[in-house]
Amino acid sequence: MDKPYTLAIVGAGISALSALRAGLSSERTILLDYQENPGGFLRPALPAPGFEDYATLIQTSRLPGQLTACFNATAVGLAPAIDDGEPHTLLVRHRSGVERIRAYRLLLACGGLELTREQAQIPGSRPAGIMTPALAHQLLNRGYAPGQRIVVYGSSRYTLATARRLARAGLFVTLVHSPGLPDASILIDPSPSLNILPPAQLVSLAGFPRLERLTFSRTPGESFSLLADTLVYGTEMRANTGWLKSSGLALSEQGAIKVDQHYLTSVPGIYAIGTLVSPSLDHTDSLRMGREFAALFSEGSL
Amino acid sequence: MHHVDVLVIGGGVVGCAILRELSRYQASIALVECNPDIGEGTSKANSAIIHTGFDAPPGSLEARLLAEARVLWPSIIKDLHIPHLPTGALMLALTPEDLLTIENEILPRAALNGVALQRLAREEILESAPYVNPEVLGGVFVEGEGVIDPFWTTRAYCENALCNGASIFTGEKVREVCVEEQRVMVQTDVGRAFAASLVVNAAGLWSDEIARLAGDVSFTIRPRKGQFVIVKRNDGVGQIILPVPSKVSKGILVTPTVFGGVLLGPTAEDVDEKTDLATTAEGLRMIREGVQRYVPGMARAESIRQFAGLRAVGSENDYIIRPSTAGRRLLHVAGIRSTGLSASPALGRYVSRLVRDELGLSRRGDFQPELPAAPANAWQDAGEVVCLCHSITRGEVLAALHNPLPPGSLDGLKRRTGAMSGECQGNLCLPRILDLFRQELGYDPLVLPKHLPQSAPVTARLVDIAAQEG
Repeated sequence: MDKPYTLAIVGAGISALSALRAGLSSERTILLDYQENPGGFLRPALPAPGFEDYATLIQTSRLPGQLTACFNATAVGLAPAIDDGEPHTLLVRHRSGVERIRAYRLLLACGGLELTREQAQIPGSRPAGIMTPALAHQLLNRGYAPGQRIVVYGSSRYTLATARRLARAGLFVTLVHSPGLPDASILIDPSPSLNILPPAQLVSLAGFPRLERLTFSRTPGESFSLLADTLVYGTEMRANTGWLKSSGLALSEQGAIKVDQHYLTSVPGIYAIGTLVSPSLDHTDSLRMGREFAALFSEGSL
Repeated sequence: MHHVDVLVIGGGVVGCAILRELSRYQASIALVECNPDIGEGTSKANSAIIHTGFDAPPGSLEARLLAEARVLWPSIIKDLHIPHLPTGALMLALTPEDLLTIENEILPRAALNGVALQRLAREEILESAPYVNPEVLGGVFVEGEGVIDPFWTTRAYCENALCNGASIFTGEKVREVCVEEQRVMVQTDVGRAFAASLVVNAAGLWSDEIARLAGDVSFTIRPRKGQFVIVKRNDGVGQIILPVPSKVSKGILVTPTVFGGVLLGPTAEDVDEKTDLATTAEGLRMIREGVQRYVPGMARAESIRQFAGLRAVGSENDYIIRPSTAGRRLLHVAGIRSTGLSASPALGRYVSRLVRDELGLSRRGDFQPELPAAPANAWQDAGEVVCLCHSITRGEVLAALHNPLPPGSLDGLKRRTGAMSGECQGNLCLPRILDLFRQELGYDPLVLPKHLPQSAPVTARLVDIAAQEG
């Protein structure tokens, strides 16, 4: 079996790139990611207002020379070390099969999954045209319009960036704020081609085989409908911890990884940062956690 | 004009099971399905239980076929490699009235149906199923009940029939049915014409409308909606948990699945529209409340998806399996309610024998009952992960796309591989899957449907929109 790595980083999204940018390094380091490129699921949204720091990070990031970077390589399981001083084992699936990768320290930074309309249990039919911002961006990147008359629902700057991009592509877009305080950046510079409606709760959807109508409510007993063939549902993130279910790592009720102030999980030698720890559609926490982790690591305080 | 001996209308689990059994005979057989993929109706939206029929009306054709199916399932599961969990079912009594119902109604009826139930005391239940409501008073265990992969079952029946020489035409809706003395003429909406010696009407919810095309108004089908909630957490749920039934419904079940999660539901609501597949806030609340009584820990479990299915309830109090009033050469297989999956092995055999007798068909010597062992496919281990939630690989997707019965829709691929059915509901992997459909089968994303026709996930090319504006 190959010599274990000193550090394995799972996920090459914002938090991992931020950590590497801030000087995170170890003697033998491997970086793994499900996607073909670094940058995480938010990358297709770039460039976008409110994401200048992230765009700069992507543009200027150079993976350290001594780092082994594996893309299209997905960690599908984790077996923590049984004894102190032994390496942890990651089960990784890539193009040519499954590989066991051993490392003395692990940094889990594999981000999150957007909460879907299904997880939010919005009643109604199951038509074509229901998606999250990540899918809308990926379809745009491939040169396709996800719909003609689109409602984007959510309150983050990511949601706003998604709505703006869809409108720029020549599509009819209405942004409906989900309840709660919208991100401050949403209030500035609304694109003229974008209709923005004040906060309302999405209560149901209708139409089949394609989406036709969305119903919202602001106060109990009152509702209004919008005609739309597409819903971009972008209200929340959940931690991407489905693959860690049998690892024994302590998770919160919502599935986020529990860490201490040093980003240490419940298992010695395994750390976690970013959306995995603090699910949010905003990227600034991930940038910060990456920097903080790199500092702790180089100080030798881990 | 396609001349066939037998044409089956409807590619649900019943039509596909019949097609497979018919492929045992020396006959040319074909199936026509209006949707882009098979199994798009009742067969995709149910509790996935293989039911013993312990509570079926004794003496009914339904009870008889469910009893026959119990004997046939083991070899079908083996031959078609169907994922299956022999969980058994626990019927729980929470009140003294429930205990009386079990003694006075459930046990005698099961005995008439030839199903032995095992009485369990409270302590025995809590020992074998510690996750149920500790206030349970007692109950019965139904050993033969189990769960299966309903998508696999439908697809495997059909695929096996194709391997044995059957033909299939998907995405073609039957528009005209004309029953003559010795044949039936059928026209589809793409202009295809069939001349069949016999037509089997297995069109599920729409079987009454197929009958009407032939001028037969002898029965009607009403849709009864069942809403379900899928939860990913399992909490050790190892048996099907059944309430003691009321007059109108079997109640809300808690059912393990072969996919790892647990299914909560169904509701039972008579609805007006055969296309009403919407879940409702009221339905979801009823499911959660029902589950709360039997498996309290599951009542609040987070859901990754909800869905609704429509059972085809016939106007006669049993399965409607008989020749049409329009003529003997149109055979109805209708009103199969919620037991089509459970009874499918026996339905296939029973109906194929009716057809055999009518047409005087003889057995062929080279029928192959088995599908090639599925996971041994060399594609299976190849390729990176496509579906992140379920770690489904590119190789597994390619294997499904190059199957003898490839998916005709995105949901068809989901049903064959499990890709797009996890937490993210395909939002991450769908673009990669569109790429694979295009590369491997030449599908344009603008026409590849999600499920029904006109349900493509994209509506236009951006260059075309820009050209219109510019």
